[in-house]
Amino acid sequence: MEKEKPEMETVPLKSRFRRLPELLPMMIFCGFIFAMAIGYLLLPKEEYSPQEKKKLVSFPCAAPEQILNGTFQSELDTFLSDHIPGRLFYAGLSADYELCSGRNGSKGIYLGADNTLYPAPAAEGNLLKNAGFIKEYAEDSDIPVYMTVIPSAGAIQEQGLPLVHESYRDRELIDSFRQALGDKVIFTDVYDHFKEAAAETPLYYRTDHHWNSRGAFEGYQMLCTALGKTPLKREDFSVETVDGFYGTSYSKSALWLTPPDSVELWSDKAQSPQAVQVEIIDGEDRKTGNSYFFREQLANDDKYPVFLDGNHSLVRITNQDAPDGCLVVVKDSYAHALVPFLSRHYRTIVMADLRYYKKDISALAEQEGADGVLFLYSLTNLSEDNNLSFLF
Amino acid sequence: MIFSSLLFLFLFLPATLVLYYLTPKRFRNITLFVVDLVFYAWGEPTLVLLMIVSVVLNYTAGILIGHFRSKKTLAKWLLAADVAANLGLLGFFKYAGFIGETIQMVLPFVSVPIIEVALPIGISFYTFQTMSYTIDVYRNTVAVQKNFIDFGTYVSLFPQLIAGPIVRYQDVAEQLCHRRENLQQFNSGVKLFLIGLSKKILLANEMGSLWDTVRETGAQAGALGSLVGIIAYTLQIYFDFCGYSEMAIGLGRMFGFEFVRNFDYPYISQSVTEFWRRWHISLGTWFREYVYIPLGGNRKGLGRQIINIGVVWFLTGLWHGASWNFILWGLYFGVWLMLEKVFLLKLLKKAPRFLRHFYAAVLFTFGWVLFYFEDVGEMGSFIARLFGAEGFFMSESLTVTVLGYLPLLLCSILLSTPLLKWLYEKVKVRPLRLSLDTLGTCCALLLCTAELVSSDYNPFLYFKF
Repeated sequence: MEKEKPEMETVPLKSRFRRLPELLPMMIFCGFIFAMAIGYLLLPKEEYSPQEKKKLVSFPCAAPEQILNGTFQSELDTFLSDHIPGRLFYAGLSADYELCSGRNGSKGIYLGADNTLYPAPAAEGNLLKNAGFIKEYAEDSDIPVYMTVIPSAGAIQEQGLPLVHESYRDRELIDSFRQALGDKVIFTDVYDHFKEAAAETPLYYRTDHHWNSRGAFEGYQMLCTALGKTPLKREDFSVETVDGFYGTSYSKSALWLTPPDSVELWSDKAQSPQAVQVEIIDGEDRKTGNSYFFREQLANDDKYPVFLDGNHSLVRITNQDAPDGCLVVVKDSYAHALVPFLSRHYRTIVMADLRYYKKDISALAEQEGADGVLFLYSLTNLSEDNNLSFLF
Repeated sequence: MIFSSLLFLFLFLPATLVLYYLTPKRFRNITLFVVDLVFYAWGEPTLVLLMIVSVVLNYTAGILIGHFRSKKTLAKWLLAADVAANLGLLGFFKYAGFIGETIQMVLPFVSVPIIEVALPIGISFYTFQTMSYTIDVYRNTVAVQKNFIDFGTYVSLFPQLIAGPIVRYQDVAEQLCHRRENLQQFNSGVKLFLIGLSKKILLANEMGSLWDTVRETGAQAGALGSLVGIIAYTLQIYFDFCGYSEMAIGLGRMFGFEFVRNFDYPYISQSVTEFWRRWHISLGTWFREYVYIPLGGNRKGLGRQIINIGVVWFLTGLWHGASWNFILWGLYFGVWLMLEKVFLLKLLKKAPRFLRHFYAAVLFTFGWVLFYFEDVGEMGSFIARLFGAEGFFMSESLTVTVLGYLPLLLCSILLSTPLLKWLYEKVKVRPLRLSLDTLGTCCALLLCTAELVSSDYNPFLYFKF
């Protein structure tokens, strides 16, 4: 199109230049689409997106059969979307645009006061079905079964939510869950206490869906009452703060302008450093550590896995300083921040994650000689999880 | 392939532009024809053959009709055969299942074989285009196109291939062989394309998801929620269709074509008659030229005119889809048009302007209810809900969604009027106007790309291994 300027040939040179700025839309448009095309063709293709924690698709197979039945065409669309130059920039731009045009929470995350990101409320989902599984487990169990359900950040820190938001029914959902759970499970309800405590200090991360160390500490104190232990106090810990934490809510929201969060590592001052051993078992894979904190995880944007190295099938924590006793914890990732506190009171804690651990839990408890089994779940995960059938 | 996709915007279009403008002028239609076939085959890898059949058929018919034009009877039979063949193909691929089901409904004791065929994309559009050619050749209003490539390019021209506008052959005959692409036209094409793209991605898609949410809410939506929902759908279908037409016209300009305008702010109409002069203009023109006027139009008395309006609107409804609700929708407008013709327009003239706007808005909005629901049961329960059968207010959760979409909904309503265009034309200061153009271009490109990408941005955050 550059070669031919039929109209322009007849126009005097001066006026031709004068008209040039009028063609800016065309120049920008062509510049943009050609730059994107060249970017697509020349830029190296990544195989994995660390921000999204997903494998990106590779170029689809262009055999005649795939083209005729249309699979090549649809897979190419996914490929182009996965590998578009500046993908994260565009995702962020879209999130900001949606926020500015009134749709806070459109990606399942609300931006609230003080740059706090709140995951959308939990629905009832599998809640009652899961209550049924745990009830059944407790009724067959000879050792005491404890449970705590961790409410969501939005329900506890409601004052920080944007004006227009879906309502958080955590109170009501926890009540109906507890009712369906029966009497045999010793249930610790942290909701009201959390509401009070959150008025003073946040109990959840700003950029992540998990509770923070303070939240986990409050949960620990309440659980101790149920477990018959005397909890440590706030003053018994030294606190180390690590900045630069961009959690899951941050990645999910794509609101890249949200400032980073920080992680607090609480260490018991009286704990001798050599006494702790953490053994991580994923099927055949084994890994050990001698601290609750896996500091290599602090190098990542998502720093929450610093607690007990994130999600694993089975984790055994031994603390030689603690009195005899064993606790089995069936849990989701919220437990990782709390179990280090509980470890002060049990020589052995065995954590099982039913998303990956598919063996019988009562056999595990028996084999470990456990004094109790603790179920520790966040309300959101509990309502979405469909792995509790693996209890048996 | 659709225009609002990464593939089209960032691979197909740049490649096509390069190929097209690198081709010497005489051969450009060949390039365009090949590109058109690739474009169509991308979505319909096998049914592209059907389109080629249609091109060959009408090309041959055109030559034959042109050749025997002096022999009236033979030419008439040839045209009749061609129209029958075109309608036969359209009938088989679009209406076979529908006709079967309808016969089955009327004759419940006979077993009617129901043929299930996939509807080839754009068949309703290109069939109407080819018929406009052969009919005009018969009428001797256009010259016979002897060049197969030029004719093929006309039928399959990718900008308007899938969703119009329905370009009549006579409107582009000259441009097919003698068009002079130029930068000014290209530039205005880019602007129009981006306006259309933004309408589709930034407005229509969002209004569509609001309408989806309302429908999924079901009985909880109440009268208010249902009203918001149908308004959202009214806006969605306008911005979707008008956006597509503007993208088509814009793309046409990039390749030196000038197509007729398809939408002229239909929602500011003050009567149903006016609405149909502003909505999908190319289809209205087609039916007027090739059905209404040949039937006698309004020249044979009021009685005959009313029958003609009935036929045209039955067909207009049927053209939109093979289902009774579309026919109902067409006839609904047919009835209102007749009423307006007989007495309503005179009455409306005396009414205040806002009342006329309100009257038209209520009628076309309600029309979209008939258009949307193919299932009569669902249509009935939606209408009942709209009139308050399940309470007035919407559920809390829907209220939250509606409030979130409210700014866009209001924007969409404003943008369905010529307000912004009027304001833009008020800007006489050249630098300001140029800055607006530039800013608009950048915003449209970035936001549309962002929305296209983000629909697939779905981090998978809770996995491990």
